[in-house]
Amino acid sequence: MMNNSTPARVFEPKPSQPAPVSTTGPLAWLRNNLFDGPVNSAITVIILAFLLWVIPPLLDWLLWSADFSGTTQSDCTSAGACWVFIQAWSQQLFYGSFPDAELWRINLSLILLAVVLSSPYWLPHTLRNRLDLAMLVVYPFVAIAILDGRLLGLEYVSTDFWGGFSLNLLLASASIILGMPLGFLWALGRRSNMPMARSISVILIEFFRGVPVLALFFMGSVMLPLFFPEGTNVDKLLRVWIVLTLFMAGYMAEVYRGGFQAIPAGQYEASAALGLSYWQTTLLVILPQVIKVSMPNILATSIMLFKNTTFLLIIGIFEVLSTAQTALTNSNWLGGYATEAYLFVGVVYWICCFGMSRVAANIEKKLDTSHKS
Amino acid sequence: MSGAKRPQPQSSSAPAFYNNPHVRAVFYQILLVCTLGYLFFVIIANTLANMEARGIKTGFDFLTTTAGFDILMSLIPYDATGTYLDTFFVGLLNTILVSIIGIILATLLGFVMGVAHFSRNWLVSRLAVAYVETFRNIPLLLQIFFWYFAVLAALPSARNSLNLADAFFLNVRGLYLPAPVEEAGATLFYIAIAVAIAAIIWFRRYAKKRQDDEGVQLPVWRISLAILVALPLLASLFGGAPFSFEYPELRGFNFRGGITVIPELMALALALTVYTGAFIAEAVRAGIQAVPHGQTEAARSIGLKESKIMKLIVVPQAMRVIVPLLNSEYQSLVKNSTLATAIGYPDLFTVFVGTSLNQTGQAIEIVFMTLAVYFAVNMTISLLMNIFNRKVSLVERK
Repeated sequence: MMNNSTPARVFEPKPSQPAPVSTTGPLAWLRNNLFDGPVNSAITVIILAFLLWVIPPLLDWLLWSADFSGTTQSDCTSAGACWVFIQAWSQQLFYGSFPDAELWRINLSLILLAVVLSSPYWLPHTLRNRLDLAMLVVYPFVAIAILDGRLLGLEYVSTDFWGGFSLNLLLASASIILGMPLGFLWALGRRSNMPMARSISVILIEFFRGVPVLALFFMGSVMLPLFFPEGTNVDKLLRVWIVLTLFMAGYMAEVYRGGFQAIPAGQYEASAALGLSYWQTTLLVILPQVIKVSMPNILATSIMLFKNTTFLLIIGIFEVLSTAQTALTNSNWLGGYATEAYLFVGVVYWICCFGMSRVAANIEKKLDTSHKS
Repeated sequence: MSGAKRPQPQSSSAPAFYNNPHVRAVFYQILLVCTLGYLFFVIIANTLANMEARGIKTGFDFLTTTAGFDILMSLIPYDATGTYLDTFFVGLLNTILVSIIGIILATLLGFVMGVAHFSRNWLVSRLAVAYVETFRNIPLLLQIFFWYFAVLAALPSARNSLNLADAFFLNVRGLYLPAPVEEAGATLFYIAIAVAIAAIIWFRRYAKKRQDDEGVQLPVWRISLAILVALPLLASLFGGAPFSFEYPELRGFNFRGGITVIPELMALALALTVYTGAFIAEAVRAGIQAVPHGQTEAARSIGLKESKIMKLIVVPQAMRVIVPLLNSEYQSLVKNSTLATAIGYPDLFTVFVGTSLNQTGQAIEIVFMTLAVYFAVNMTISLLMNIFNRKVSLVERK
């Protein structure tokens, strides 16, 4: 007989594991992103405390106890920001001292600018390639004609009255538009096999990139008049425009150079095999690819130029920052509204530049035909 | 074999000489040079005629004449009896000072913010993004004005200055710091520092050799730090205190003694730091993102600690992308320091191109000298950064 006394093994279920701590939902998000270990928790708490300390008084100053309505300094009675100041100066800040009755001309040129810039989005394919470039290059001159008025038989407005943020916008776009093709020429010159063309391009590019912008503006206002024949009086804004365009061209040339370096040699060889001439190769095969590759940098350079238009204050051009400074020293508004003024101009600029960088990201995505993962 | 005769190429008409690329190249270049030469000729002729008509003197004689104006701040002894050459050097040193301060602080801020972008803490990474997007998109001049006219101008008067330990004072007239004054033990102290640095260099070499030969990792950082602290400390124990401090004191309406940092310098340095820092943060972010993720994963799989992964794997590879970008950021910082002229910080541009040019009217010489300086400074930065770049760049198979 066998001793069968071994007790039968009884099935005993192990205790079920606790449910996993939630991995979705707001609590899990907080745990993963803010309270992930003691160090992170401490940092989070410190930052939150800081934000709590800063934001409520800031909002209070900006909005809750700020003055919004009124026309003079005496309407700013509360402890908050005095937005009345901005309101009172808003026309100056945007249009400069352009005569009231002629403001539609500035608006018209800004609308035209928007039309020209957005045309690639709505023009049909067939027209796009022919019209876009022509529209762009003609635009600055049309805008000048509209603003100046003499050519079109309108009332003449001297450039002394142009100013404000619209001037920043128009000057920046006019010099970007002309600087881009000029920069492309310089970049081509830099890559050329012709030694003279190459060295001249290199000198031009390095000069305009290596010198502080301010020095360029200064040369534009002090030295450029010496270069013209005696007695010619070249308009101050025109000189600034020349300087800005050359400056833009120098930076753009380097941007294009980066683009050129990204084009494989096979592209040149293929177009040579097709029997395309130099200009056909450059304009039909290389340029589109260069623009695609360097789009982010083109827009970054444009944003830089747009921001740099504020430097014109130093040579006495009434762009927006200069207008703000004038407003701050106005005898009717001596309440010390510097913070309000700078905040306002800063926000306006921020919106424009941030918007442009979003557009850049958008275009980059649109143009992206590569297979990078 | 087909019996058909192949048509022979008609070689009788050689391409016309004007279709020869070499001939064309020469022609275009001659055209270009002639046009530019003519342009230059006209410009120079016009300039000379204009200068004569306006009675502008030429030549560098003005450099030795007395300038006769005071400068707000100078690192070398200067008063109104100095020459224009002196004003040039005062301005140059002030430019270099603000550039160095700006470059160091902007690099620190930029690196912190660039790395913070990758923080696992959501708040930290959002704050880094907010910082970059805010300050990158606002004109620098506006930021300078903001710090100068809105923030620093709102500081209390000298009597009510912000006071830290009775040694540091901050008020509307500037920042006042205690100034070190050399005492008897200073020489020994300097020698100790030099010895410490030499010892550290030797120790690092030794540690590297040990690691290459035996695979032993010595705690290089801790020992270096210990040497750097201990030797000067010993020196001051034996040789007596190397420095005494001269503290700023309120006398009448203003502080006397100590080091004064004028508000113009503070505003300019702050604005340059914050503005350039945002761009450097972007460069650092781009550099870190350029390191393939597989590198981090591979490092984790061989069991490296997170801190070592950053230090040994990610940062060295990211530096290859970051350094060229840093180079151009530093150069634009130096160029942007000319905006000092807007708030009256006496940098080269303010002093020399501003005041001196106004007084002498010698635009060509002064602008030429200034441009040469900025070129030279930027070339120096470029040279240093390229040397550094060669150190961090990838060594490929030969």
